[in-house]
Amino acid sequence: MPVLYCLLMFLILFVDTLPFLSDIVSISNMFLSDNQVDYSSSYENIFVPSDNNGDTVDASDVDFPGINKQFGELNIKGRGVSSKLFFGDGAVPLRNGVGIYAGSFIPGYGKTILVAGHNNTYFNGLKNVEKGDIVSIKTSYGNYEYKITKTKIAGDGDKTAYDLSADKENLVMYTCYPFDELGLTQKRYFVYAEKVSGPEIVGLYD
Amino acid sequence: MKKLFGNETFKKILYGILSFVLAGSLTACSMFVLLKTTILNESFLMNSLNTSEYYMDLCYEITDDMVDIGDASGLNRSFFEGFIDEVMVRKDIQQYVDNFYAGEKLTVDTGDFERALRAAIDKYEKKKGIDPATLTEDSVNYFVKEAAKIYSKNIEITYFSMIQKKAISWSFKSLLYAIVLGVVVLALVCFIFFTNKWKHRGIKYISYATGASSLFLLIVSALVLVSGVTDKVAIISRSLNDLYTAVINSFLVDMLIMGFVLLTISIVLIIIHDNLRKKVL
Repeated sequence: MPVLYCLLMFLILFVDTLPFLSDIVSISNMFLSDNQVDYSSSYENIFVPSDNNGDTVDASDVDFPGINKQFGELNIKGRGVSSKLFFGDGAVPLRNGVGIYAGSFIPGYGKTILVAGHNNTYFNGLKNVEKGDIVSIKTSYGNYEYKITKTKIAGDGDKTAYDLSADKENLVMYTCYPFDELGLTQKRYFVYAEKVSGPEIVGLYD
Repeated sequence: MKKLFGNETFKKILYGILSFVLAGSLTACSMFVLLKTTILNESFLMNSLNTSEYYMDLCYEITDDMVDIGDASGLNRSFFEGFIDEVMVRKDIQQYVDNFYAGEKLTVDTGDFERALRAAIDKYEKKKGIDPATLTEDSVNYFVKEAAKIYSKNIEITYFSMIQKKAISWSFKSLLYAIVLGVVVLALVCFIFFTNKWKHRGIKYISYATGASSLFLLIVSALVLVSGVTDKVAIISRSLNDLYTAVINSFLVDMLIMGFVLLTISIVLIIIHDNLRKKVL
């Protein structure tokens, strides 16, 4: 008899919760996962040096990076800038290198590449750059060079300091300013560069 | 035949239904008592916070967040190593939890944190031989303000601000429902026991109810525990993940204990029933 009562209680509970069952499952799925959460601050590195210095690379040959993945290296010779290049500019990329803002573009797209880095770590060397310096970006699908055209100091919320809708490939690197300042600053140091060489990604919309 | 139905069969059906209603009421009452003494109880939450290593994990997480903001502020990791004081974190979380259960505004007083941070910066300046005149006070203030925001955000327990009103309302409701259902249970037990001519029969029906209720609680808690659902909880913060897993596990274990208590009562009642029945025979 207790087993029968118990089954009846389960039945009543099931009928009662039936209208909300999909909601309960949806909410539960927000908090449950078959995969263990990775709490380490490690990241995935998909960068493999390439010898492609040509003019084009097919989109099908490009391993498009996901957020927080290292997919290249950024160097400015003789200026103290040498860093891993990530896609995304959140905590993980900026702890380990410099990162491309996910709302901008990766090299080879023919558009704006907006790269952020901390002024006390990987982008400290930006204080040394001069007009005409060459920025080298290596990715798994090609090697790129950009020539620095100018630098500028702007406010931290100044969105006119870069143009994400530009149709010409250009590199914008920025960091907090003044350099080596103790405390958080509300100014940003922008370094602008134009593309000199590197393969254009073709067949993007095929 | 008519007389038989009118007496024995009708009585069996009536007491069967009453026994089932008693089982349902007892289960619901147990659930409300469980809710009131666990999830809706401040000491249960504080105990879960202590047993889940929440504070230790949280101190690591705050330190990591501080290091990120430090990288943009001229302060490296070594500045923040050991800076986040677990005693201060415990005190601020205790205050936050007190406010949560008292229905007060869920704000974090970051005064102690800000004072400690400013003192650490002063010490750092002296250690590094930085001339205070070269510092931009706005930048330091901005840093302290942003660091305090990060600290406050970490002290706040995620989702608590969303559920505070409901939790307080349910805390009252669960107590009310538990009392009402407790009275119903008591009334049904008395009715079943005293209206039966043969007391052993009354005890039998009550044992059915306690048995069914214990089975329900045992099956639900055991199923969830064995299925490993708690291992699948995946919250991006390790400390929160640990806390919520500890809360769910403790709740299920308490449910299991409640089930065993009712099962014991049921077994005792069956033994009493058998003894009484033998005496009658």
